[in-house]
Amino acid sequence: MRILVVEDEHDLADAVARGLRNDGYATDVAYDGDEALTKIEVNDYDLICLDLNLPGVDGRTIARSIRAGQIQLPGEQPRILMLTARGEASDRIGGLDEGADDYVVKPFDFDELRARVRALLRRDAGRSTALMRVGSLELDTARHEARRDGQPLPLSPKEFALLRYFMSDPGAVFSQEDLLEHVWDENADPFTKTVRVTVMTLRRKLEAEGDEQPIETVVGSGYRLREDT
Amino acid sequence: MMKQIESAYGSLPEWVRSARFRLTLFYSASLFLIGALLLGGLYMALSKSIGDEQLSKELVFRFDPATNVLRSGVEPAMEDFGQAVNQNALERLREFSLLALAFLFVISFGVGWVVSGRVLAPIDRITDVARRIQATDLSGRISLEGPDDELKRLADTFDSMLERLDDAFIAQRRFIADASHELRNPLAVIRTNLDVVLSDPKADEKALRDTSAVVGRATERMARMVDDLLALARLEAPQQLDERVDIGLVANEIADEFAAVAKSRGIELRRSIESEMLVAGDRFALKRALANLAENALRFAPSETSITIAAGRKDEWVWAAVEDQGPGIPLDEQGQVFERFWRADKSRSRSLGGSGLGLAIVEQVAQAHAGEVTVASKVGSGSTFVIWIPALGREAGSEIPGAPDLDPATA
Repeated sequence: MRILVVEDEHDLADAVARGLRNDGYATDVAYDGDEALTKIEVNDYDLICLDLNLPGVDGRTIARSIRAGQIQLPGEQPRILMLTARGEASDRIGGLDEGADDYVVKPFDFDELRARVRALLRRDAGRSTALMRVGSLELDTARHEARRDGQPLPLSPKEFALLRYFMSDPGAVFSQEDLLEHVWDENADPFTKTVRVTVMTLRRKLEAEGDEQPIETVVGSGYRLREDT
Repeated sequence: MMKQIESAYGSLPEWVRSARFRLTLFYSASLFLIGALLLGGLYMALSKSIGDEQLSKELVFRFDPATNVLRSGVEPAMEDFGQAVNQNALERLREFSLLALAFLFVISFGVGWVVSGRVLAPIDRITDVARRIQATDLSGRISLEGPDDELKRLADTFDSMLERLDDAFIAQRRFIADASHELRNPLAVIRTNLDVVLSDPKADEKALRDTSAVVGRATERMARMVDDLLALARLEAPQQLDERVDIGLVANEIADEFAAVAKSRGIELRRSIESEMLVAGDRFALKRALANLAENALRFAPSETSITIAAGRKDEWVWAAVEDQGPGIPLDEQGQVFERFWRADKSRSRSLGGSGLGLAIVEQVAQAHAGEVTVASKVGSGSTFVIWIPALGREAGSEIPGAPDLDPATA
């Protein structure tokens, strides 16, 4: 799951990004509207935390151009979570009408922001709770707990994020590029073996709690999570 | 004693206490008095012309042939008989007059009640509107129709007062919304940074230190903003402007204060300050205004440039100016620079700028001193802000005499 935080208040943007990274989301930051537009055109984001008041192109315009298809997106339409300092209903309505999926009013409780991020991301997966389940695998995205056959799995944030991404679409084949795009942020070096290494460590931890290996290698295309693990 | 009268008055029914009743009473009493005087005068004049001397009466003996009795009695004399008839008519006149007066009183009371009701109706309407108006909604207007008389003027005065109040309230609400919006940003910084670091079990000492630094910065910004908001609120109240302030001295103090900062930033600070320029005013406020201008200049000026702090006299005005060689302000934005929370460089992050109130304070200080602040700026070559204050003892109502001559060579 890859997220872009667009906020001109550096100290706030950095803190939000740090918090989201702690949750295992691949998170990038843009400090103004123009920077945001550039990043949105290049990277395939699953969600954008968008401040309404921005220097340069403002948040409302960004949301509108994303929804109106004025921006060439590399992938699907991202979810938009609006951050606003104006609590008045007219501002919130304006933002929602421009295409935002949800909003939080500053100053916000970070746990609430996380919950809203989770809720928006699982809308795509067609789930209605924070619990993901595929065969013997169980993922509590709110508490950050992973289990296989009821046994807890000690996963690092990156491994957790990787498993969550596999579980969001069981059976689908993901290439290394897909995984890099959605599980790693822009600071990841695309030429390292980081994806392969993380998949390997995740597999080892999954094997430790069960007989079969749920993540298969599809030769020439990438990896797949078996639906009947 | 007064209290007793008041309380006795208060216990009367409401319609008796009304202005309408008093007006009616006054009107009908006046009419009654006039009627009484008129009728009384008429009566007096009539009785005078008839002559109200006593009728001479004489003892008369009269023989009644039917009963063979001789009666005796006092009767008016025969020559006085006409007189007696007149007297009688006069008495009738008096009776009718009294009756007419009573009738007049009743009728005039009724007419007076109706007329005063008509006259006072617009006042009731004004009262009605005033009652409906609340502090939260000043949109109601009386809009009285009719001829341009005293009452219409009263209603129109009310309306224009409401208009001004409404504008002031709207501006106030807007300001409060802006202020709370501006305060929410540093608050969000503090809250989110604390939330994130506290919920991270792996946060080390460095992370905690970084977060403390961020929180410190945000708090400092909020404190600054609250200070500026308070300064603005204080300036809006009527000022004590009786101190004799030497603007030259103030300008020199500011130049001294900012010399070290300017030097550390590689900026040359020049002075062009005349001496002995007295104005009547608030020394602290004037100093703050000039300090805000100097601070702005320093914030935007690139290094290797110069800033000039100047002060002088022109006609009946004393001026103090700060000139920089910074980025300048586009012509279409020069009108907005004194607005609250306006920021010069939109691409700059809010966290690096000031409170957004600095120039609003400068303008408020100048206006409180019956002066003005002007800006001359050209993109790419710099800006000059000038505060104009009327010189001590000058005649009121003179115009600001164009741009000052602000050449450092004259220093």
